[in-house]
Amino acid sequence: MSELSRREMLQATAAALSLPLVKLPVATGQAPKKFFTPAEFAVVDELSDMIIPTDEKSVGARAAGVAAYIDARLAESFEHEPPEQWRTGLKAVEDLSHELNGKAFMESTPEQRLAVLTRMAAGESDPKTPAEKFFREIKGATVHAYYTSKVGIHDDQGYKGNVYQTGEYAGFDAT
Amino acid sequence: MTLIRFKASQEQDVDLSRTYDAVVVGSGAAGGMAAHVLTSQGMQVLLLEAGKKIPIEQELRSMEWPYDHPRRGEFPPGDHALRYNEYTVRQPPYAKGSAFKHVFSYVGGWGGSDYVKNILVDEKDHPYTGTRYAWVRARLLGGKTNIWGRLALRLSDYDFKGKSHDGYGEDWPISYADIQPYYDKVDTYLGISGHNENLPHLPDSLFQRPNKLTAAEVKLRKSLATMGRVLTPYRAGVTTDGVKNKYRSKCFGRGACGRRPGGCDIHAAFDSPTGLIYPAMDTGNLTLRTNSIAHEVLVDQNTGKARGISFVDAVNHRTYDAKAKVVILAASTLESARLLLLSKSRQYPNGIANSSGHVGHNFCEHVMGPGVTGMVKELVGVAPTLDDGKPGGFYVPRFRNLQDKQPGFIRGYGFEGGSGFSIFPDGAWGTPGFGGQFKKTVREHAGAFISMGGFGEVLARYENYMDLDPEVKDSWGIPVLRFHYQFGDNEKKMCEDMAVAGREMFEQAGIEVIGVDKNILTEGWSIHELGTARMGSDPKTSVLNQFQQSHDVRNLFVVDGSSHVSASCQNPTWTIMALAWRSCEHLADEFKRGSL
Repeated sequence: MSELSRREMLQATAAALSLPLVKLPVATGQAPKKFFTPAEFAVVDELSDMIIPTDEKSVGARAAGVAAYIDARLAESFEHEPPEQWRTGLKAVEDLSHELNGKAFMESTPEQRLAVLTRMAAGESDPKTPAEKFFREIKGATVHAYYTSKVGIHDDQGYKGNVYQTGEYAGFDAT
Repeated sequence: MTLIRFKASQEQDVDLSRTYDAVVVGSGAAGGMAAHVLTSQGMQVLLLEAGKKIPIEQELRSMEWPYDHPRRGEFPPGDHALRYNEYTVRQPPYAKGSAFKHVFSYVGGWGGSDYVKNILVDEKDHPYTGTRYAWVRARLLGGKTNIWGRLALRLSDYDFKGKSHDGYGEDWPISYADIQPYYDKVDTYLGISGHNENLPHLPDSLFQRPNKLTAAEVKLRKSLATMGRVLTPYRAGVTTDGVKNKYRSKCFGRGACGRRPGGCDIHAAFDSPTGLIYPAMDTGNLTLRTNSIAHEVLVDQNTGKARGISFVDAVNHRTYDAKAKVVILAASTLESARLLLLSKSRQYPNGIANSSGHVGHNFCEHVMGPGVTGMVKELVGVAPTLDDGKPGGFYVPRFRNLQDKQPGFIRGYGFEGGSGFSIFPDGAWGTPGFGGQFKKTVREHAGAFISMGGFGEVLARYENYMDLDPEVKDSWGIPVLRFHYQFGDNEKKMCEDMAVAGREMFEQAGIEVIGVDKNILTEGWSIHELGTARMGSDPKTSVLNQFQQSHDVRNLFVVDGSSHVSASCQNPTWTIMALAWRSCEHLADEFKRGSL
């Protein structure tokens, strides 16, 4: 970056940066659980991490704090339906787990948990059972929370934008 | 207003005992331009804005990462943005009986809604009635220019002389040659980015450096060229090389404006306050009063001329009069029509400037919805590139009914589109399954999508109109607009063609089509409302002359989109400003001559 362009950039940001920004509390992986019971939280945490797991490129939903983010949003929900739907959905997961494995979801083995999630996801394009409907709910929330997280944006996606391009813009000319 | 209250600014201490040379109602693209041109001609101008002045940089926080916001950029609890199905299943007023604390138009449902909650109006305070309509309003200094889409296009004689071309509607009382010098002035004063294409139906501007294309866009551009069509980099009302204006930076390709409903906290994208109003205030000739809701054009009983504006203070609900020798309305197409209709008097029982009965009629806009999404196979699995660091993607100009004649419809449409890597991998929503394979698929396809959607001309028709609701009033007791408007057969046929043509263009380019949208979005969705006080040479069938001056009241001008005779299919903001510049130059000349 040349000195000139750096100066231009600083001038450009001056208006935005010199103003006192409103400090807002930020939800993180360490945020206190507010809506889920500890047992529910554990199930959401596990399911989200099974939907977006750690792989060779990046850590998964658990390390991205997905469950805590969902919890915080549900705790402050203005509408009654979303929290109720989650509670009902988590009950459906337990029911399905008892049906398939004869025990609670978190007491099941990894293979047994996978069987539950696989059954939940079977009707993704046209969900009918409560567990199938809940899959869409928790997958949507996980996708949203993960890909808006620091891990999702930077580590997994390797997003290159939201930066000052001080020289040529990236891309191709129209020729 | 129930939104966050900001301290009343010192502009509120304006002198209302004096008679200004001109009073301008509205501070968006049109009102800002009127303020700029008239103050630079030495006229003493009072600018009234219905909304408040907010610390816009703090509001937009363009570079804030989603994870640095407690709700990843979304609304606080209790705020709600209207959804597509609410507009279609229900009738206005859409916020009536809503349990939510605040209800906003659909724009609030885009990513980053928390950044526009003090920009969009609360539908609860601003009802309207009648037929379905997605009315997007921003009441604050600068109006919708604070978050506009930035696509800055010129119209051509295919638009101004549409009737001569195909026999429908009315020609404008001006031609391209009349407005071209003013397009040039707007380009130079405000800055515009684009690539010259030498198209007769989409004239080039005086462009600063263009935005770049992605690999997918280059591929489509090359293919379209073999079909005699064009894909051009987004013509953005954004200064990429800088302009002489201490309130504005040049664009650094941060892409912030494209990731959110809009807005630029360094003001590289044009907005009326920094582009027009603050420089006008620096002349010493401009007085600004915000929170001033105009509800009547005052009339001199003896001369029949306009003598000022009556307005309600949005905060204290008291009524005030502002006196001026010339009255200029620039409140937006729909609000200016409302204001004309509200201004009933002995001389003007049907509303001022309405001897023709055309105020509120001949409404037109752009129809949208149909579009196509594709995948570029060779881009699957490529390393991430910086694809969204620009104010917009691409534009495919109109290609229908120029030399050819389509069997099902007249006029045309263009496509706006985008492609490549973005901050959120949109493919994630549509990728089935879960687990490692899901995650890998999302990652590998993140940069391979390309999509575009059509914007088509809605024909101006007398029977599409707005009037005042006899009963419903807004939170300040002012009668609201009632809509009588719906798309016609030409729009529906055109939309069918958009979906077919979009698919054809992708297929021809070897782009795999993964989705074709055929649904037409609710009336109003384009936010390009036009034509409720059209210009014309015949006072019997038009409201304004070619200088946006009332045929009936010579010191009354309406310089916003309501003056447009037809919608064209090109986005209107640049034309609104070029026309306003031309009219206000004329106005200032007449004023100095004493003929107003």
